Amino acid sequence: MKRPWLALLLILPFLLVFGAFQLAPLAWIAFNSFNSAESGWGLGNYVEIFGSPFYLQAIRFSLEISLWSSVCGLLIALLGAYSLTRVDSRLRGFVVAFTNMTSNFAGVPLAFAFIILLGINGCLTLALKQLGLIESFNLYTKGGLILIYTYFQIPLGVLLLFPAFEALKQDWRDAAALLGAGTWQYWRHIGLPVLSPALVGTFIILLANALGAYATVYALTVGNFNVVPVRIAALVSGDIYLEPNLAAALAMLLVAFMTLITLVHQWLLRRSRHVQS
Amino acid sequence: MSYLAVKGLHKRYGANTLFTDIEFHAEQGELVTLLGPSGCGKSTLLRCLAGLTEVDRGTIVLADQEITQLPPQRRGIAMVFQSYALFPNMTVAQNVAFGLRMQRLARDEVSQRVVEALTLVELEGFAERYPHQLSGGQCQRVALARSLIVRPRLLLLDEPLSALDARIRRHLREQIRAIQQELGLTTVFVTHDQEEALTLSDRIVLMREGRIVQSGDAETLYTAPVDAFAAGFIGNYNLLSAEQASRLFGQTFQGQVAIRPEAIRLGVAGGFSGRIVGHSLLGNVIRYRIATEACELNVDVLNHGPAALQPNGTVVTLTVDSDSLREVA
Amino acid sequence: MSRAERLYHRIVVWGLLLILLAPLAATLVYSLASQWSATLLPAGFTIKWYLQLWSDPRFLAAFGRSLAICLGALALSCVLILPAMFAIAYHFPRLDALMNVLILLPFAVPPVVSAVGLLQLYASGPLPLTGTPWILVFCYFTIALPFTYRAISNNLQALNLRDLMDAAHLLGASSWRAALLVVLPNLRTGLMVALFLSFSFLIGEFVFANLLVGTRYETLQIYLYNLRNGSGHLTSALVISYFLAVLLMTWIANRLNRERT
Repeated sequence: MKRPWLALLLILPFLLVFGAFQLAPLAWIAFNSFNSAESGWGLGNYVEIFGSPFYLQAIRFSLEISLWSSVCGLLIALLGAYSLTRVDSRLRGFVVAFTNMTSNFAGVPLAFAFIILLGINGCLTLALKQLGLIESFNLYTKGGLILIYTYFQIPLGVLLLFPAFEALKQDWRDAAALLGAGTWQYWRHIGLPVLSPALVGTFIILLANALGAYATVYALTVGNFNVVPVRIAALVSGDIYLEPNLAAALAMLLVAFMTLITLVHQWLLRRSRHVQS
Repeated sequence: MSYLAVKGLHKRYGANTLFTDIEFHAEQGELVTLLGPSGCGKSTLLRCLAGLTEVDRGTIVLADQEITQLPPQRRGIAMVFQSYALFPNMTVAQNVAFGLRMQRLARDEVSQRVVEALTLVELEGFAERYPHQLSGGQCQRVALARSLIVRPRLLLLDEPLSALDARIRRHLREQIRAIQQELGLTTVFVTHDQEEALTLSDRIVLMREGRIVQSGDAETLYTAPVDAFAAGFIGNYNLLSAEQASRLFGQTFQGQVAIRPEAIRLGVAGGFSGRIVGHSLLGNVIRYRIATEACELNVDVLNHGPAALQPNGTVVTLTVDSDSLREVA
Repeated sequence: MSRAERLYHRIVVWGLLLILLAPLAATLVYSLASQWSATLLPAGFTIKWYLQLWSDPRFLAAFGRSLAICLGALALSCVLILPAMFAIAYHFPRLDALMNVLILLPFAVPPVVSAVGLLQLYASGPLPLTGTPWILVFCYFTIALPFTYRAISNNLQALNLRDLMDAAHLLGASSWRAALLVVLPNLRTGLMVALFLSFSFLIGEFVFANLLVGTRYETLQIYLYNLRNGSGHLTSALVISYFLAVLLMTWIANRLNRERT
């Protein structure tokens, strides 16, 4: 095609829809987060958020749940992904496929499944009580949420870490062994350093995944648990009164934090460029 | 008592036998080459010597110590891999120093020996580079330095030159041999390239499908191959069937006959005749293809310049000394 | 690897499998149980919940709505993305880097955040879309974008587009015919994989559905949520049915993927 504007015409519809439904809302939020209902243009919304113990609690809960679930999820995914690279290919193929499928099992169905397992009368709760391991277990607390969040972080972590472990060459292990390194020393000097960009990257993705999660916590606690996504939603589809600009400010904080950790990750990647072989 | 003695080694994986009945030895300071086609078990055998893989049966004795059950960390053996296996997160100096760090030597002594090792492989200025910044030949030299610095009792090399291009391969080959002889280091070298085997080794062990076909020094293997496979693998033998050989030389033979291409002399009366049907220029050697009444033969002569090149169609006489006629099974 | 090591790795992998399986298994058992409360094991087994579910007109309506939206969003994806990617790959290859950044946005920006802006922009005014299924179709399009773009982009790169088009031109085809007859058929598998994977992702979407349309257009996930105070057995049957559908989709995508490579 000699005429480039004809080609542009092909891209236009796509850009229009994308712009209207992805970029425009973002722009609206960025813009209106600085437009407070009470004090007009300025940082009014942000001041209100940071001055309110309620919103600060939401931020604290969000950070705690996201951090803990990401750390636990990462650890379990780490052990799982490593062992996955060391088992026979049939078992490995099956588990990888299954992990792929369970990564879709989040949100409302997951909340209900966990109620069946670990609710007040959940079968696992009862089993653990009968074995005398626990007195009682309340799923609808911060601890319960960390548990459920860890669950849906695991498949994502495994799928992200599995290729990183596959990239660890057996030759390095062999060479290190001949030079006198035992298992622990291999991991300390070679294995973990080579893996660290992937580990940090996965952690960041898990963190972002947990921070933005809405469906699971909403379905489990019917919108009663105080985390940032629930707060944002309550302010725009409220039962009480709507404050979209405040919601915008809260949303901007969320996006800003996720952008920050992504930038940190990119910076770390650049520093450890020498690890890439 | 040999420095390295391997006896009765046998290894199986599932239904396949990887190697069986392996027995060879090396004196101190010798370079022994395990030579053979892909899949003959030589690399696996090397890994078993290093302790990276277990053997099912047999013993390995190094410097009067049986090491068959020892883990690789405690055998005092160093290995250079085909893929270099340099640790990507460490600099050249850190890679080379790794073995000494595992031995917990003092920092000063480590740095000093690193400098010595890098000088030995002619990489003095490269200490702070990372493996991904090095060429293949440089990587292999770092791997060599990393192995030599720990002063191993035995050095193993697993096709270390296969991944490099021809010119670097030759240069590095000579360098490895020179260092090995200077240090008097007992070495086992694995390759599928017969030219490497012939130029480097004190002794060659020829393997095929998990068994040792022939074992001896380079000269013997080259001039006295024990069977048709050996003749075909080392050197560019002409292999004649018994009838073809009988027709050409007037004697009766039981089995196939192998003749080295340089053992056939052109233009000397008293033998049989043939006609040149083609030639290849191999640098300093010209290989003629000559059709005789029995078969086609390859004949190598030194390249004395374009004037001496005989054109296609020339009829020539050929003779072969009777002791160059090697009957192989 | 020693025997002990092999055993350790098998145990870990089976452990991982069990952890991931547990909620699913519990839901499955619950969906087949006639009664199960406050006891370790169910009282009895039955398939009556599935029968009840699949004969419930409200469920079928919700399922139909979800299907319609997902298929609509995927069709929209094809119509919008394919021409755009072709144009970029053939005419503006330098835009590809920009595109790769753009398609990260649906990943990086949580749906809850976008919903804030979407509700304000499209509740009234020139484009009143909230409350209608249309806004869902457009939003689902943006969600599916990373998957579809990646899959088609990989496929396009493997195709060596420029050479294919040049060959077609030399043989007398116009650019349009070349694109339709040569490029598109070769993209088929990559596209199919992307569509099946996106479908399994979209059908589980709850955030946009809840915030932007709510009960005015009851999709599968909304219906599921609305059942929360009803029979747990019924909801379990629903979850299992929906998960089986997702399983089927992913399995088909995997088979197609293997066929391609």
